Amino acid sequence: MFKKSLLLGAVSGILAGVASLIYQKVYAKSLGVDFATVAKPLSIIIVSFLSGIIAAVGFWLLNKWLKNKGEIVFNLLFTILSFASIAAAFAAKLPFDVDMPELFPGLVVPMHFFPALAWFTLKPLFIKNYEPYKKVFP
Amino acid sequence: MKKAFFTIVTLFILTAVFAFSLPISWKIADKYSISFSTSGVSGIFKTFTGSLVFDEQSLPASKFDVSIDVNSINTGNGMQNKHAKSAEWFDAPKYPSIKFTSKRIVKTATGYAATGDLQVHGITKEVTLPFTFKRNGSGGVFEGFFNINRNDFKIGAPGGEVGEVIKVLVSVPVVK
Repeated sequence: MFKKSLLLGAVSGILAGVASLIYQKVYAKSLGVDFATVAKPLSIIIVSFLSGIIAAVGFWLLNKWLKNKGEIVFNLLFTILSFASIAAAFAAKLPFDVDMPELFPGLVVPMHFFPALAWFTLKPLFIKNYEPYKKVFP
Repeated sequence: MKKAFFTIVTLFILTAVFAFSLPISWKIADKYSISFSTSGVSGIFKTFTGSLVFDEQSLPASKFDVSIDVNSINTGNGMQNKHAKSAEWFDAPKYPSIKFTSKRIVKTATGYAATGDLQVHGITKEVTLPFTFKRNGSGGVFEGFFNINRNDFKIGAPGGEVGEVIKVLVSVPVVK
């Protein structure tokens, strides 16, 4: 279980990082502002990967402690924490030579949701839970 | 003939003396910096224009007439920028410029001091701004560091999280 959740965390983290980089390129091209000096591509990949790993550890611990309710609590926590983390994007203070800092949250706020989105998307591929079906179709 | 010659010579000498005593009108070069800081906020103004007429040898004829675009403020945070331009602080739509016009420039122990009218937020006050000037080939750099109390210009409410005394650091490279 731990290995599977760790693998899910790593893959979803990398996927979130790649999605963030694609979004960054699209954002820079469409709005004409480039925050690559502030939100560095390597940093985005590392942070996304780490958030996936932390999520994996959290998922494993919650499932261990709360058994069947672990996943429900984990999903709620992951979503709430992702939502709460956008406050950091609005509070970020950029270097003074970076133009239009008011467009910075528009870039990074979606990125804060990508790890959760990737996790929820990939989770059925890594951790299969057929228990409810077994009850209906034993 | 002799009288006309002396008149021409006198005029020539006067013109030459006058020409040499004319202060230099400096052009503001790129990479100038107008930064400010206080507790809770710091930032820069990105647009600075005006005329800088200055000569160390001719201070009475020297004069500064400069303007800062309030809308060019950058605190590094979008929400803070919007807040700074709002009616509560600089009220940029109503008062889009910060202006300084010098009345006299004098030599001091550490450099120079320009006394003049500073207009911020629609309020004009006489202030003395210390500065230094370092020549650098055909150009030079004006540098100044001074404090401004935002309450003198009714910028924001007194007290609060943002400090009342704003430290201003000015560095303006110039060319002839």
